[in-house]
Amino acid sequence: MSTSEPRRFDPGSRALVYRELDHPADLWLEVRGVDLPNLVENALFALYDSMVALERVEERREVTLHASGASAAEALRTLLAEALFLFATEGFVGVAAQVHRLDSSTEPGSGDVRFQARVRGERLDTTRHETRAEVKAVTYHLLDVTREASGAFKAFVLLDV
Amino acid sequence: MIDVAHPPNREPARLTRISESIWEIAATGGMRVPGRVYADEASAGRLGSDPSLDQVRNVAHLPGIEGYSLAMPDMHFGYGFPIGGVGAFRVDDGVVSPGGVGYDINCGVRLLATDLDAADISGKTGRLVDRLFSDVPSGVGSHGAIERLTSPALVQLMVRGAAWAVEQGFGEPADLEHTEAGGALPGADPDAVSERAYARGLDQVGTLGSGNHFLEIQVVDQVFDQEAATAYGLREGQVTVMIHCGSRGFGYQVCDDYLAVMGAASARYGIELPDRQLACAPVHSPEGRRYLGAMACAANYAWANRQMIMHLTGESMQKALGLSPRSLGLRLVYDVAHNIAKIETHESGGRRLELCVHRKGATRAFGPGHPEVPSAYRAVGQPVLIPGDMGTASYVCRGTEEAMRQTFGSTCHGAGRALSRTQALKRAKGRAIDRELAAAGVVVRAQGRKTLMEEMPEAYKDIHDVVGVMDRAGVSPRVARLRPLGVVKG
Repeated sequence: MSTSEPRRFDPGSRALVYRELDHPADLWLEVRGVDLPNLVENALFALYDSMVALERVEERREVTLHASGASAAEALRTLLAEALFLFATEGFVGVAAQVHRLDSSTEPGSGDVRFQARVRGERLDTTRHETRAEVKAVTYHLLDVTREASGAFKAFVLLDV
Repeated sequence: MIDVAHPPNREPARLTRISESIWEIAATGGMRVPGRVYADEASAGRLGSDPSLDQVRNVAHLPGIEGYSLAMPDMHFGYGFPIGGVGAFRVDDGVVSPGGVGYDINCGVRLLATDLDAADISGKTGRLVDRLFSDVPSGVGSHGAIERLTSPALVQLMVRGAAWAVEQGFGEPADLEHTEAGGALPGADPDAVSERAYARGLDQVGTLGSGNHFLEIQVVDQVFDQEAATAYGLREGQVTVMIHCGSRGFGYQVCDDYLAVMGAASARYGIELPDRQLACAPVHSPEGRRYLGAMACAANYAWANRQMIMHLTGESMQKALGLSPRSLGLRLVYDVAHNIAKIETHESGGRRLELCVHRKGATRAFGPGHPEVPSAYRAVGQPVLIPGDMGTASYVCRGTEEAMRQTFGSTCHGAGRALSRTQALKRAKGRAIDRELAAAGVVVRAQGRKTLMEEMPEAYKDIHDVVGVMDRAGVSPRVARLRPLGVVKG
């Protein structure tokens, strides 16, 4: 397991990390990552960036999120839903993340994909932070994670707004 | 018994014109009933390859569907069911599906009348909107205008809905009679609600939210049906207030929880789904009953929420305009749900049936004489409230016998988006949408600049066209048109 620290999201490099695809009403995102944990980190970036302008969000608190699923896509959706729940109930906005995959070698015999995410950020303060979309839910709609020929990963996530 | 042998349909959907406003998709493959789409010729032409047509057809595959899988003229692609979809399922052998209600359970519209004329607030609209913007919590992450609820209080709210809010001092008992279902669905089951939904519900009651939700000051600018307008207490030149919001994070969480439950339940009951987002369970199954119990809690949350926002609005208007409650004369015209599943009795195919009517982006439109229409409106039919975009207009229509015959007493719910959010942002780039609206006589205050761009008037279909389709179909004739003067957006 890597010991590196959560890495800060860089809104300046947003275009390299994710883009919004055309959808009649909701937020349909295509996210990229060099590997599966990085894909999940970037999906967290995309989620928070869709809700709050991150430039002025500070790393004042760290939380740990866990999620598992029968596939990488389902585990990713669940992790994002965890992050959304924490935002909705405690106002927690993440601005840095470090994701580990806990299944396979560490849990032989399990078919589940499991992620653990360390996320740093702070409580939403609308006097300092500009808010964007209100995300109602991370849906199962059009949900997909694929591995490309280059070995990089791509995810499609639809946020109900 | 649930009949499960209905494989998905892979042929492209074709629309056949049945009448001026109705287009039919024949029942082929595994469809148990035909689809029916309400549209004018131009929009029916545009629908050709729209994926929402497949969704209309997919809904027709579900067990126990009665009559038709229906789509209103504001239809667009949704989650499993199309937005603007109506599906009625027999309680005896049919299903209930969270995807047929949507995330924002009992998202709906409340219309308030005042004793003011537009001239009374002329030159004061900016001040009024500023005051409403600060007094009615809105936007991402907003908290309620009241103290965080305790769990027992939230349970009371879930069971009693708007009546709970009235008891807390938010409004009058008379408001309840002018609220669909009296502001509380029966059968609310707080034990069927997850701890997570409780956590999300505790401090959001009394908040507008964001996105397409709004609070709008309007003027009645044209009356089309004098008798109905008089019954509803509406006249030309009068100031009205429209509130559009729902059950906030509480409802979103209930939907999210039960999508997972229903995914497993569909498989357990052997229900073959053409699309997994149509996950459902028999109405009578434990899963179906629990979902309906939790959904009722969320619906009641939304009615309490709109009841509280109405009260906050009244106080705010009095302060902004320096008026007594009596001279403001704020009263509830009506409150409708447009994301909900309800057990209703309808005549269909010569039989009287108990049905679970899913309205997802569709408004109930019960006709004259129906016992659920408030006594003051019973002669003319239920008021139907259809908001348009923030620069154009909203409509008050009325329910009819024809709606009971054609659409299980349902009609459209809004303009429906014409542009995606990304397209809208592109078009709005470099423009000051608030200044454009101000030039057109509409004062707008919004928490998020991006929301304002995404919600700009041209992002929506023409509300006049949408309402016109249902007017010509005889389902929900127009009563009055409301023009926006001031808008609070989350």
